[in-house]
Amino acid sequence: MRSADRIAGAALLAIAVAFAAFALRQYPYWGENGPGPAFLPFWVGLVLAFLATLLLVGALRSRDPGEPWLPDGTGLRRIGIVLGATVAYVALLGALGMTIATALFLVVLVRWPDRQPWPLAIAVAIVVAALNYVVFVHWLHVPLPEGPFGF
Amino acid sequence: MDFLANLGLGFSVALTPFNLLMAVAGVVMGILIGALPGIGPPSGVALLLPLTFGMSPTSGIIMLAALYAGTMYGGTITSVLINTPGESASVVTCIDGYQMALQGRAGPALGIAAIGSFFAGTVGVVLLMLISPVLARWSLAFGPPETFALMLLGLTTVTLLTGESAVKGYISMVVGLMLANVGFDIVSGEPRFAFGVPELMDGIDFLPVAIGLFGIGEVLAGAEVVGGAAMLKARYGLRDLIPNAVDRARSRWAIVRGTVLGFLVGVLPGAGPTVSTFLSYAVEKKVSKHPEEFGRGAIEGVAAPESANNAAATAAMVPMLTLGIPGSATTAIMLGGLMMWGLRPGPLLFEKNPEFVWGLIASQYIANAMLLVLSTAAIPLFVRALRIPYAILMPLIIVFCVTGAYSLKNSVFDVGQMLVFGIVGYAMKRLGYSPAALVLALVLGPMAERALRQSLIISDAGAAIFFLRPISAVLMAMAFMAVLVPTLRGIAAVMRRKERVAASAG
Repeated sequence: MRSADRIAGAALLAIAVAFAAFALRQYPYWGENGPGPAFLPFWVGLVLAFLATLLLVGALRSRDPGEPWLPDGTGLRRIGIVLGATVAYVALLGALGMTIATALFLVVLVRWPDRQPWPLAIAVAIVVAALNYVVFVHWLHVPLPEGPFGF
Repeated sequence: MDFLANLGLGFSVALTPFNLLMAVAGVVMGILIGALPGIGPPSGVALLLPLTFGMSPTSGIIMLAALYAGTMYGGTITSVLINTPGESASVVTCIDGYQMALQGRAGPALGIAAIGSFFAGTVGVVLLMLISPVLARWSLAFGPPETFALMLLGLTTVTLLTGESAVKGYISMVVGLMLANVGFDIVSGEPRFAFGVPELMDGIDFLPVAIGLFGIGEVLAGAEVVGGAAMLKARYGLRDLIPNAVDRARSRWAIVRGTVLGFLVGVLPGAGPTVSTFLSYAVEKKVSKHPEEFGRGAIEGVAAPESANNAAATAAMVPMLTLGIPGSATTAIMLGGLMMWGLRPGPLLFEKNPEFVWGLIASQYIANAMLLVLSTAAIPLFVRALRIPYAILMPLIIVFCVTGAYSLKNSVFDVGQMLVFGIVGYAMKRLGYSPAALVLALVLGPMAERALRQSLIISDAGAAIFFLRPISAVLMAMAFMAVLVPTLRGIAAVMRRKERVAASAG
């Protein structure tokens, strides 16, 4: 956790300074009759810079490395799979349409990390994707992204 | 008494078949959402909000409020049977609830939580009903300085939510404020921090952020762990749930204390049900005649916090309805819902939309009664839902998050934004930051900025305006206390550690 706090402290400090400086350069700090659009961003940036410094100094002075902040190998791999599948799911929404993308995503993620049986994975995928379609498109009239087959 | 007339109006609204159905549906979904690990009240409300856009706002808020009450009980089931909290307001319940379950007393633990939740919820609604109109009338006199001071109090107390590091809590809150600055400036119309992206010019919508932080963030955190925890076997017949005479005697005052404490904490803007459970557990341990039993299955350790969280969840609606300031992350999302339905939360809500406010209040009585029935009669059903393997549940939650985020504005941009904040939420959780503080600041940010700038225009740029007006001065003092007390406590802890190091060295 100590190294994570050091990295986060430094990054937040940089963001805070950039945020406040950008606001001051781009927008007026004071308007005609009161505080302008840069007023609050400037002060908020300043407060974050102060807090980030506190975090950074605390982490630099700490002698206790603390718990590891990254999950171990298995945990990391599992998160990678879930995250990768979700990113692919969202990326494919436009091309495949919500229903097909959902079904594919469910098959992959139910089957993969925990080795659930294939028939279960396929059944879950079909039932949930169909329910999702019925509820959102028919009941709530949300135009979900359509795929090549019109659903 | 026009108060009785109002309540009558409320029940005439709440008892229509559709609204009754929404209350039942809300409670059932709430218990489920609360019980399932990986999805809690804020993500539950955020995910179901799109479903309410097709209804009247009154039916919508009836469902969401019933859901909120349901989650407070649902989390208990998971805490007691699996020793993992279903949501954050039931963390404390794990300690003694699980011990009771190990001793074969899961039934009374769930039973006393159901009774406590019903009592606390009902007393909470009575207090909500009595206090809110008074507070609303009183707050009509609030000008921009008072509003700003109140928001500042909300923003500073929200950091009480973070247990381990106050600095990280404040960082989360300030980052939320920065995100709130994105988009058209309300005074000058300047598109700040938009970088020419049209979606950013309208500001960062808090709903995709909330769905990402709480929904996806939780799922990723849960994905680390292989398989699920073992569930204890227990009997949940109606007779098994009834606490015995000793239990009842020990719990009676614990429930009352939990209710009072929960309501007080819940009314504070910022501090919500989770904080109330920790405080109430600490109080019970202090006043108990046998503190050594805490951690070994003391029934007060279940009764008091479980009452406190239901009282706090109800109380959190007081500042939301009367002042337009959310008392917790969940009410922050409800508040966003109110605004999307075109209602203006705040003092005028009681005058302009009585059927909405009183319908909500009346429905809360009904929801609490439903909760008592369902939490005693239907426990086996909810326990069965807990048996769904996480490997199936997790992808389902992701699908709900994606569809929910899309359906807000039919935009894939929102889905992407949700995903980004999902990763942020996981990192925040992992590294000890507070997603709840970020969401609260994102919702309060624009309102706080408007109040601040209006105040400074009135005062001709003098900060004294916040300290010279009595109400605003008191609120500002409370906000400073909220910052100062944890800081001093932190310094004291460092000093003590140094002394110990010095003592052991010498």
